[in-house]
Amino acid sequence: MAKILDGIRVFDLTIAAVGPWATKLLGAMGADVIKVEAPGGDRLSHAVPPMIKGSSVLYISANHSKRMIELDLKREADRAIALKIIARSDVFVQNMRPGTVERLGLGYDVVAKVNPRMIYVAASAYGRIGPMAGEAGIDPTVQSFCGWCGITGPDHGRGELFRHLAHLDLTTASTITQAVLQGLIARERTGRGQLIEIEMLTAAMALQTTRLAEYFATGEQPAPLGSAASTTAPHQAFECEDRRYLAIGVERDEQWPGFCRALKLDDLISEPRFATNPLRVKHRAELVPLVAERVKTKPSAWWTIRLNHENVPNGPFLTFAELRRHPQVLANGHIVEIDTPHWGRMHVDGLPWKFDATPAGPIRAGGKPGEHTVDVLAELGIVDERDAGRLR
Amino acid sequence: MSHAGSLDGFRVIDLTQGLCGPFCTMQLGDAGAEVIKIEPPAGDFARRMGPPFVAGESAVFLSLNRNKKSVVLDLETSSGRAAAARLARDTDVLVADFAPGAADGYGLAYGQLRAANPRLVYCSITPFGEDGPLRHSPGAELVIQAMAEYTASLGQIGDPPVRVGADIASLNTGIFAAQAILAALFHRLRSGEGQRVAVSEFGSLLHMRGIMWTSMSDPDDWYGFHLDHYTKPHDHGYRTKNGSMYFILRRGSSEDWDRLIMELGMEEVLADPRFADYGRAATSIGRYATEVKPIWEKAFANRTREELVDLIKSVGGDAVPIMDYPSLTTHPQTAALEATAEVDHPTAGRFTTVRPVARFSATPDSIRIPPPTLGQHTDEVLRPAGIAPSRSNT
Repeated sequence: MAKILDGIRVFDLTIAAVGPWATKLLGAMGADVIKVEAPGGDRLSHAVPPMIKGSSVLYISANHSKRMIELDLKREADRAIALKIIARSDVFVQNMRPGTVERLGLGYDVVAKVNPRMIYVAASAYGRIGPMAGEAGIDPTVQSFCGWCGITGPDHGRGELFRHLAHLDLTTASTITQAVLQGLIARERTGRGQLIEIEMLTAAMALQTTRLAEYFATGEQPAPLGSAASTTAPHQAFECEDRRYLAIGVERDEQWPGFCRALKLDDLISEPRFATNPLRVKHRAELVPLVAERVKTKPSAWWTIRLNHENVPNGPFLTFAELRRHPQVLANGHIVEIDTPHWGRMHVDGLPWKFDATPAGPIRAGGKPGEHTVDVLAELGIVDERDAGRLR
Repeated sequence: MSHAGSLDGFRVIDLTQGLCGPFCTMQLGDAGAEVIKIEPPAGDFARRMGPPFVAGESAVFLSLNRNKKSVVLDLETSSGRAAAARLARDTDVLVADFAPGAADGYGLAYGQLRAANPRLVYCSITPFGEDGPLRHSPGAELVIQAMAEYTASLGQIGDPPVRVGADIASLNTGIFAAQAILAALFHRLRSGEGQRVAVSEFGSLLHMRGIMWTSMSDPDDWYGFHLDHYTKPHDHGYRTKNGSMYFILRRGSSEDWDRLIMELGMEEVLADPRFADYGRAATSIGRYATEVKPIWEKAFANRTREELVDLIKSVGGDAVPIMDYPSLTTHPQTAALEATAEVDHPTAGRFTTVRPVARFSATPDSIRIPPPTLGQHTDEVLRPAGIAPSRSNT
């Protein structure tokens, strides 16, 4: 069956996680993604542990469904090859420090002259204007800067970083993929390419738009609330008799009576202090102890059965060991296993979307740096004169 | 036409509530689409999320519903369902977050709409995915975060769970939903063919933790920041005299390193192998960062973080203060990027929100209309479609 991005070629000049993850998603949709690396590649991509058979997991993970070529863009012969590929590409993605790609002679102005239909994405941490223009950023520095440590932490305790140091990287990547698709739609309608600029900082702020809304409305910094939601209640973790925590979330008023019945707190259904979500949020300090005391009297499995019966959202705190064979995960391919030529069989993230008419995937392992240079150049009919030149 | 958005002229029927679907459709609206938000008579439940409320409007709701028109239809009545189906005939996109199976009961499943509108792009959003034992289970932000094991990277083992403060299960999924819709629209432009697409919150969060899953596949060594961050203590960055900051050393030279160490009076670490290679393993994601943090913090104790940020940048490192919302929103960099926008709402007045993220040179995103009041556009949308608003469907 046809793939959504059949016939779309991506010139991928990305490093670390942000850019690579974005183009990997395009690859999963069927684009021909050609990842271009300098000999040796960037340190962050290749040296970050953990490693599998000598390759960084970060590199392996962010570069599925691509072909890998090596070009030393500081050399004229290599740059000439790059321009030939660019002339036959549809999308250009780069996330180097602002100014770097321009110094390599592949800024938007140059690329647009070679290929006016190019959709060119320039992604950066903090943008190319302002007092921090050109500064580099990685996930934890952007986490620190963007305010989200201030809303994450123990209940009214000290804010903390999210230790899976990739979430804002991948959020920015998602935004890039989305923007490329918008650019392709626009090009289909106007015939023209364009420049798209994306900063990690703005992407991180957009991800917090609901929480920033609280701040803009009140002028007060929202406090970390442990596991609790700020604008719905009860919506947090409760400890059960078996010492396991259960996540329970009442987000809609119609879930409230069922929640009370499940907990055998039927009296609360008609309690005026808790009649609507805004009232339950307002009286959270009175509501939560009543719930916590009741939940503590029975094991988590007991509550899950009762809450499921009333259709109230609830779930356990799972670990990877539980997730990897979880029937829900297996049935939907949320985590899958693939065979790779260099690294053996491995778990990888499943695709985040399903297309009925134009299925995405399957996920293909990428490769080692430069692995596909000869194939790609031969396929594009580009004569590689570099070796001849170097032999002279 | 030169400054129209990339989705100018497309129509989206939005049958979602809460955070996830509305964040998706807001982005389609930002891109220029006409978004018709169908609400039940009681309104989207996000209208009741809060406090805070601004003149009666939920701040959360305001942040997710610009560039939309609100139409009230009661899908529990046959005329309401008929009106929704009528609107679905003439739309490019329909987004729904019904529980799997529920759409059939409303006559709004893809299979029921396709014959009348074969070019339709239909997006289904569910909490857990459309197959498997949890396909009918309801979701909530914390439930999804917990089951996708996000809380394993926060707080401390033995302490009560800590969630990511942002509504990531909802909002990250909203981005994937927008991608799926855009991809399907692109396919339709090239082939004329519509289709059904689907995303789930659980699947989205598990996708975004993929580096972790691969890390656990058969690593050479049980070390690496995507593995040991499971078991590390809270990460608060580095304490200074006046607040916390975060820094990483990765580009410096030996001269830079010597100057940093002299300046901070940390000469004793020059003999410490954990600080080898100009301190690269001693900060941020470095192998020894956690255990040597007290050594840094001792040297930082009598310096302000502004001094330290400047010093670290001057030696080729990256450093930032750990900021809260007041400092973020007033920071000159945030201002330079114009990361926020002001929107005038008919009843709530002027409010501030985060602008559309991507900046397009030819087909820019834009904020054109404020979040609607409940049913504000019912007449305006239904009349041209030949649907008489009546008591039974409004």
